[in-house]
Amino acid sequence: MKPQTSVIAALRRVFSPRLLLTGLAAVSSIGLSAQTITSNQTGTHNGYYYSYWKDTGSATMTLGSGGNYAVNWNLGSGNFVGGKGWNPGSSSRRVGYNAGVWAPNGNAYLTLYGWTTSPLIEYYVVDSWGSWRPPGGTSQGSVSTDGGTYNLYRTQRVNAPSIQGTQTFYQYWSVRTSKRSTGSNQTITFANHVNAWRNRGWNLGNHNYQIMATEGFQSSGQSNLTVWQQ
Amino acid sequence: MIALLLVLLLGAEATSPSSPPPDGFVLVEGGPFRHPKSRFHAPTVTVPSFYLGRHEVTQKEWIAVMGDNPSAFKGDDLPVESVSWYDCIEYCNRRSRQEGLEPYYSIDKDRPDPGNFNEADERKWTVTVRAGANGYRLPTEVEWEYAATGGPKSRGHAYSGGDDVGKVAWYWQNSGEQPLSGLWNWPLLEKNGNRTKPVGRKASNELGLFDMSGNVREWCWDWFATTDPAEPPVAPGLARVWKGGGWIGADFCCEPSFRGGFEPHGTGADQGFRVCRSR
Repeated sequence: MKPQTSVIAALRRVFSPRLLLTGLAAVSSIGLSAQTITSNQTGTHNGYYYSYWKDTGSATMTLGSGGNYAVNWNLGSGNFVGGKGWNPGSSSRRVGYNAGVWAPNGNAYLTLYGWTTSPLIEYYVVDSWGSWRPPGGTSQGSVSTDGGTYNLYRTQRVNAPSIQGTQTFYQYWSVRTSKRSTGSNQTITFANHVNAWRNRGWNLGNHNYQIMATEGFQSSGQSNLTVWQQ
Repeated sequence: MIALLLVLLLGAEATSPSSPPPDGFVLVEGGPFRHPKSRFHAPTVTVPSFYLGRHEVTQKEWIAVMGDNPSAFKGDDLPVESVSWYDCIEYCNRRSRQEGLEPYYSIDKDRPDPGNFNEADERKWTVTVRAGANGYRLPTEVEWEYAATGGPKSRGHAYSGGDDVGKVAWYWQNSGEQPLSGLWNWPLLEKNGNRTKPVGRKASNELGLFDMSGNVREWCWDWFATTDPAEPPVAPGLARVWKGGGWIGADFCCEPSFRGGFEPHGTGADQGFRVCRSR
């Protein structure tokens, strides 16, 4: 078993220290039509990689045609992350998406999310959010791309479980200075973020999965978006 | 490579070649790497003989020296864990003094190590070796890998002691109440009661060393740094090397050639060590 093919545990940034990881259950599926998911799993659907992870609360994710998916969540004290994308990810991918519905009630992110090994890095390109703009703190620069400006942040998770055991690792963030409009086609030129991070010495490693994710933290809401590669 | 050889040759012959290994230790006869997949399999690399602990340091051994027990999972014959690299260095010297041996390390806790660039590390002790001292120490990465691969008796196994990881190592798939399969999943490990196991319950390797693959990851002396141009660069001074994989991690971490880095002040329920002594 090598991480490139079977490590489907994502390191999660959540507020409770105990909820460190996206544990993705050992379930995979290949489907061609709409599919409703309510439990932790990963798989491939209509040619797109998808993942679903939740600890407590309610979240229903419907996998639609192509790169479409919809989420209806009501988490109580729980956390959820899910989305569609690719496995492995790529530093040069131009990600297109259209969020027809983005209606969080509370804390949530609309984000390109992925992670790498060697080094173990978790990354976010956040285009919109709910009640709170992550990750807090002072940005360490910015990058202008795709019609907007993103602030850059680097945060650290200390002594957190991972596929290699306990690790301390960084999270790289590009967070748009204003919420991106929804209901129209948008592009994330990921290479511009990767280069901005690299210019600060923030390097990525070998890509694991990469998804356009809906994340909810102790909140409720709805999302419906379609992703594609440009 | 010359520097590496110099380091390797610093191991002093502190006891006579005919002396039996100290209790609980295995004599690792020196020589070149026999394991073809070792990262150090090269004609220029020769490892001097040394003694290496047959088992990972247990909690009983730790308590006898340090008095406390930081482990997340308690038990006399369980490996001690949740110990930082600094904690282990201190253990080595205290145990050496306790047994009338010369401490191998000089530890300066007041002068920050100028070679330590880890911003999160607030200890930054300056630790230097006292070459020729006969006390306990951490193995170097080269020594560790040489021993894990069976040293001069290596049969070229994929893991330390065999090709079937489940027979030689405690790792994420077999360290809980039920066997796990599929995709690694931390919540699943927690729910399954995954944890450390008593030392020495799996098959030993060619040298009689136990748990060199799995159970807890083991600190080595060296700074972690990447040298392969294909890997993202990691400079020395940020992390120390760990080897062997542990109960949380995947099987690939249990391969003797796998190397990981962890902050010297870092602790985790899968991070322990074993000690060695120069011969």
